[in-house]
Amino acid sequence: MEQKSMRKFRWFWPWQDEAQEAWLREMSQQGWHLTAVGIPINYDFESGEPEDFVYRLDYQYHSKMDKEDYLQLFSDANWEHIGEMSGWQYFRKKARAGEDLEIYTDAESKIGKYQRLLVFLGILMLPLFFSIINLSDPPYDWMSTLQVLIILLFVLYVYMIIKILLRINQLKRL
Amino acid sequence: MATDKDPNKYLPLTEATYYIMLSLIEPLHGYGVMQKVEEISQGTVSVGPGTLYGAFSTLEKEKLILKIKEEARRKCYTLTPKGKQVLLSQIERLEIMTGNGKSVKESLV
Repeated sequence: MEQKSMRKFRWFWPWQDEAQEAWLREMSQQGWHLTAVGIPINYDFESGEPEDFVYRLDYQYHSKMDKEDYLQLFSDANWEHIGEMSGWQYFRKKARAGEDLEIYTDAESKIGKYQRLLVFLGILMLPLFFSIINLSDPPYDWMSTLQVLIILLFVLYVYMIIKILLRINQLKRL
Repeated sequence: MATDKDPNKYLPLTEATYYIMLSLIEPLHGYGVMQKVEEISQGTVSVGPGTLYGAFSTLEKEKLILKIKEEARRKCYTLTPKGKQVLLSQIERLEIMTGNGKSVKESLV
């Protein structure tokens, strides 16, 4: 019996959008095309003819987005919208000679995408940050699991933010 | 004050923003802007949808462009008077730059 569709689970960090793009392209080259993305990180594929699809991920805040105008622009530029997940928008286009394969065509606007992500993570980090400040009060027992968890999460956020800042730095040019 | 400092706050524009604004001297929708920029820049600059969407948002927020009508389900933008001022200032700045470039061009070949 031939498989028509499948679901894969894979974890990517927020700064690994290009790694996601590369993986999805490989999948399409093998004849598996993305149909949907969900939480937790599950990817749904349908089988078909191998195609060289280039995938691109954008990051936008829902509330600030004029969805219709946004999608129309991408559609006009021949990008097919596959779906969205937590602010990440998934697009693809067949890789052909002469086709523009980037959704961000200059470094400045590409940096803007990572800055949006940075702000979002920073905001998420605030409650943790305040929790940690409160941890230094005498009544707390330092060996409490909750405190350890909070600190670990905080360190994780700091790590993510640093990774994204490094990514932004890579994109900056003369 | 002799000079209005406002336009200069936005300079220098990125190449993409410069060409987008040039394309919006007459009302145009996003699709048209993408095509026009490619054409008038002689292929040296292309504007992707992510870049264009960001530029439209920022330019509109800064009141350098505004939406004026809808054509074939696509919103059209055009420059505001303030936008025209900024563009003019950028063009004058570029004229100085290219003037300098031209005068040394031969010595670089």
